[in-house]
Amino acid sequence: MKKEYDDGQVQALRGADFQIREGEYVAIIGQSGSGKSTLLQLLGALDHPSSGKLMYRGQSLAEMPDLAAYRAKEIGFIFQAFHLLPTFTAMENVQIPMFETGRSAADRKSRAIELLKSVGLEHRLNHFPSKLSGGERQRVAIARSLANGASVLLADEPTGNLDSENATLILELLHRLRQERNFTLVLVTHDMGIAERASRTIQMKDGHIISDIGKEHA
Amino acid sequence: MNFFTIVLRGLLRRPVRTGLTLVGISIGIAAVVALVGISRGFETSWETGMKTRGTDVVVSNMGSALTPKPFSASVRDRITPLPHVAEACSLLVDLISIEDAEMMIVSAREWGGFTWKNLKLVSGRLPNDEKEPAVVLGKTAAEMLKKKVGDPIQIEAAEMSVVGIVDGGAVVENGSVILSLPLFQEVSDNQGKINIIDVRVTPGTTKEQVTKLCEQITSLVPEARAIVAGEHIRDSQAYRMIRAMSWGTSLLAVLVGVLGVMNTMLMTVFERTQEICVLLAVGWRRRRIVRMILMESAMLGFFGGVGGVLIGVIGVRLLEHTPAIRGLLEPDLNARLLATSVAIAVVVGVFSGLYPAWRSSRLTPSQALHG
Repeated sequence: MKKEYDDGQVQALRGADFQIREGEYVAIIGQSGSGKSTLLQLLGALDHPSSGKLMYRGQSLAEMPDLAAYRAKEIGFIFQAFHLLPTFTAMENVQIPMFETGRSAADRKSRAIELLKSVGLEHRLNHFPSKLSGGERQRVAIARSLANGASVLLADEPTGNLDSENATLILELLHRLRQERNFTLVLVTHDMGIAERASRTIQMKDGHIISDIGKEHA
Repeated sequence: MNFFTIVLRGLLRRPVRTGLTLVGISIGIAAVVALVGISRGFETSWETGMKTRGTDVVVSNMGSALTPKPFSASVRDRITPLPHVAEACSLLVDLISIEDAEMMIVSAREWGGFTWKNLKLVSGRLPNDEKEPAVVLGKTAAEMLKKKVGDPIQIEAAEMSVVGIVDGGAVVENGSVILSLPLFQEVSDNQGKINIIDVRVTPGTTKEQVTKLCEQITSLVPEARAIVAGEHIRDSQAYRMIRAMSWGTSLLAVLVGVLGVMNTMLMTVFERTQEICVLLAVGWRRRRIVRMILMESAMLGFFGGVGGVLIGVIGVRLLEHTPAIRGLLEPDLNARLLATSVAIAVVVGVFSGLYPAWRSSRLTPSQALHG
């Protein structure tokens, strides 16, 4: 895949060719401007590649009639800045993605409670984001990303806005949830320490993949 | 939580701005309610007055003034022989200042004519004859002028006395100073002149026959036109002007409302760009985003409309008791006008939300990863 902006003046992704297996834990590392966030956007169908093809379970994303449905049902996003909706409680934020899946209001609510319990926030259900700590906000965001039972979680610097203690807790939570729910985790970071927890590390530089290393232990 | 909750939270996110926008729409809609209600009230009040007097056809020359132009009293005699005319009654109606009241309806009526018969005495008596320098006051007129039976009253340069208070059964009748035609012709220097002939048709006359009678009178009397009672106000240039001004002013007020809602919704979209992109990123379809923005603006319109109707109704009720309007007309605030006003507000809301909604639909979800 390649991704260009401004009629080719900016080449964010100059060539990426790789495959991710279901259930894998992949860390994408690289300096700022290396193309790792662009790659994450393409994987999550937030943007289209300028050339090349992205396949999900054998089907080209370009041929999918409804990319919103792909994002809603298959992909979960975790952002560095959490991006919770400030006027909604933790429980309501988790329900937001479920509006596209036809669940009833009661079902949405019980699912949100179950997910918030799974991230240890059962005591913060009705708290607004402004009343939550950074770590708690990110846990709500993780619960939101799992709302529709995503098979792939895409995390963009999920610990970037957290102190080291909370960062460790979030990474452990993601690790535990991945083992419990068996989703594929693709995590973008510039922190080698975080990348070491992944089963595979893709290193990027200037829009190219310069290394792709799998580990036995992770 | 349902979709409606999401829409509502969007509005409550900036309560002051939402509140100010609602005030803007409310004022616009209040203007619609008040101006249209008053102009329609003018029409219905006069129409009711005609019906109460038992008038079927009005012969007058409604020019651009609020009262008809005077013409010769002899016209009456050319009308009475026509088929289907049961009775005709000459009137000279004017709006003049009486004592402390700035504008009062003076209704001078042909002595013995049928238009005296609907007046029910509340106190006192009717004048003894057409020469007696006496007036009867509609009950609202008596309150406005602070007069009771036996009090003197100054009509133009003449001093007369109040001999009775009457209930005319309609706002216009109750707000009138009623006296005999020759008296008023003399004091207003309109000897031999009248400006209205109320015609009552014979029982059993069909609508088509009434219409034909109107045509006959109009061709027979070039100085006036015969119109079915009630329609003569709509035929008046003055009334048409009032109505056009009411709608024109209302339109301007509504336009201000449109700009207010559009501004608010555009600000909302600009402010919530990140949030909208996050919604797209978590799988919301563009049409749901568009629906959310349109519903927010429609709700602004709806609540602004309801507020505007309340303000308009209260405002009109207060205006109704001011000396400028009291006794002249009863504002027509019917359910249809109020419902139409709220509907206009909702349409204004949706219309104003179209551009912001379109802008929101152009956002790309990838923007969610920035910032």
